[in-house]
Amino acid sequence: MFLPFFQLLRDHGLPVSLRYVLEFYEALERGLAPDLDRLFVLLRLIFVKKLEHFDAFEQTFAAYFLGSEHDCSPRLSREFWESKAFRRWLEDETRRGALTQGDFERLPLEELLRRFWEVAAQQAGRHRGGHTWVGTGGTSPFGHSGAESKGVRACGESVHRSALKVIETRRYIDYAATAPLRAENVRQALAALKHMVPAGPATELDVNETVARSSRNGGEIDLVFRRELRDRIQVVVLLDNGGASMVSYIDVVKLVFARMRDQLRDLDYYYFHNCIYGCVYSDPERRTALLLHQFLRRDPETRLILIGDANMAPAELLLSNGAIDYFSKVRVPGREWLLRLRDRFPRSVWLNPICRGRWAQESSTIRSVGEIFPMEDLTLSGIRRAVEWLNTGGTQRLRVGPSPRRPIAASLSKQS
Amino acid sequence: MQFFGTDRYYLNSELRDIVNIAIAMERPLLITGEAGTGKTQLAFEIARALGLDLEEARCKSTFKGEELCYVYDTVLRLNDSRFSTGDSGRDVNNIWDYLRFGPIGRAFQAERLCVLLLDEIDKTDSDTQDNLLDVLEDGSFIIREINHKLKARQRPITIITSNAKRELSDPFLRRCYCHHIPFPTMEEMTQIVRLHYPQLPAPLLDAALPTFYRLRQMGFEKPPATGELLDWLGALQLDGAARPAERGRILHLGTLLKRTQDLLKYKGREARDS
Repeated sequence: MFLPFFQLLRDHGLPVSLRYVLEFYEALERGLAPDLDRLFVLLRLIFVKKLEHFDAFEQTFAAYFLGSEHDCSPRLSREFWESKAFRRWLEDETRRGALTQGDFERLPLEELLRRFWEVAAQQAGRHRGGHTWVGTGGTSPFGHSGAESKGVRACGESVHRSALKVIETRRYIDYAATAPLRAENVRQALAALKHMVPAGPATELDVNETVARSSRNGGEIDLVFRRELRDRIQVVVLLDNGGASMVSYIDVVKLVFARMRDQLRDLDYYYFHNCIYGCVYSDPERRTALLLHQFLRRDPETRLILIGDANMAPAELLLSNGAIDYFSKVRVPGREWLLRLRDRFPRSVWLNPICRGRWAQESSTIRSVGEIFPMEDLTLSGIRRAVEWLNTGGTQRLRVGPSPRRPIAASLSKQS
Repeated sequence: MQFFGTDRYYLNSELRDIVNIAIAMERPLLITGEAGTGKTQLAFEIARALGLDLEEARCKSTFKGEELCYVYDTVLRLNDSRFSTGDSGRDVNNIWDYLRFGPIGRAFQAERLCVLLLDEIDKTDSDTQDNLLDVLEDGSFIIREINHKLKARQRPITIITSNAKRELSDPFLRRCYCHHIPFPTMEEMTQIVRLHYPQLPAPLLDAALPTFYRLRQMGFEKPPATGELLDWLGALQLDGAARPAERGRILHLGTLLKRTQDLLKYKGREARDS
């Protein structure tokens, strides 16, 4: 009954390990999920470990157990109706006299399902070591048989209002990995960025040296301390603050990096407009210039983060006199400068506030810049990938989990 | 063993179920959330409600995993070997006299079940967290110097809190149950305030809460949290104020907004609106 649900979770980007599955069945045996609300809480505790997966989990749960939002009439799927477990339960109940024929027609669907679930949960507890849920064809009540499985459908006024209501509010959507960077999820972005600084312990008693020195002193104790070096990473942020398109992002970016200042002592900001032509500016008004060939003298281990929308007239990037500043005497095309930067600083990434889906539509320069620097967008998963890239020295692109491609309800209806 | 909340701590039903499941399955519970949402308080209240001892470990960035378990005092032993006169009661030849146990070590050695709190674990390095992995999994750690494995007599109820300042490593997350406490809604906040200030007049509270939530939406660098709200209400109550704002200016703003930038930003907005 639950295996298709686990598979669905995997399809929507949640890492599911066999360990969790076993733990879940153990919890079922102990009777920790007597009603749907507790089942929801238990599943979430065991399977979801990161904040950005919460929303996907809730939607999957709603779609699988409570029916998709497109359905408006409560109905049970045929498989469920005809499944052995449900029928057996019906027979038992009728035999016991708890459920008469009249009841069966009169009782609302929710009540039936609630009763059924209570009994089923108890049964799971009683069968120690002999799982009747897993793999035994036909016993699972919820239509478990490969492609046909739909889960219990009884939506709208659902079996347990509280669980559905909570899910409908979608409390966690702001934290999902594909949400754009805003003040709410800045904290999460920060958590990802702080991985960039490895730190080591500070002072340590060097016992061996102490013992050696003390023995040489004829027994007079001489304590020797050593200090381990901390790795200091230098990060430089080059920010495109020209043009109306970037204005809305400046505040958020500044907020993120302002918080980082506590962690990273060596964080420098420079500014440019659209593209880099021979110099970068150390003030937001772009008056104080720092020539690029001086900038290129920095340590090649410096991490470089360029933030901009990479959206400019192709001429600016490719023509030798394409610099946006009319009076500029620079005769090297913008692309050249970017290449020089990339060659000097292999650990560099470009972060683009425009979301990934729109890159192809916005401008061809985005793709051109994307060929020079690895480009990610300013969502949580984009920043994570960018940080992974910076940490691994630019040698491998790490995929941070499969990204969901279809909305969850649609994918369920496709199965039917 | 079930936990149902106490008179001093507001517990919503979801969190109650989660705590009880974690206790039943004997798994550590990792709680994340904004500052002031009652994460640390939860552990204290569990200990109080169930009548158990609490071992607390306030994690600092210099902590190594071993320190939380035990510390071997080499300097003292060196000193005793040279200068000891024997009346300190410690035997230089016996290493057990020089092993001091940290919170995890003490929790594992306790006779009765106890609650173990690892506060703000995200302040430590990921190395420390990796070192704690098998401690959490098995309930045992090895004393390196004598190669002795110390196993927990009873697995303590472990609560780990994190401010989500730094990301926790995946293997660490896999071994815990994770729960994120969202910021309380207005109804929940009302109940929380009522627990702390039962005598607060209702009109004041009804006026103050929307103001508070509005302030949170304004995008300050450090938005006010539950702790600040309680301080502010306390100040208003002491002051005997009937309303939270006079002529458009919020009283006792300093208890809500702590950063200079935020205060200036707010004053600027106030000046613009008035």
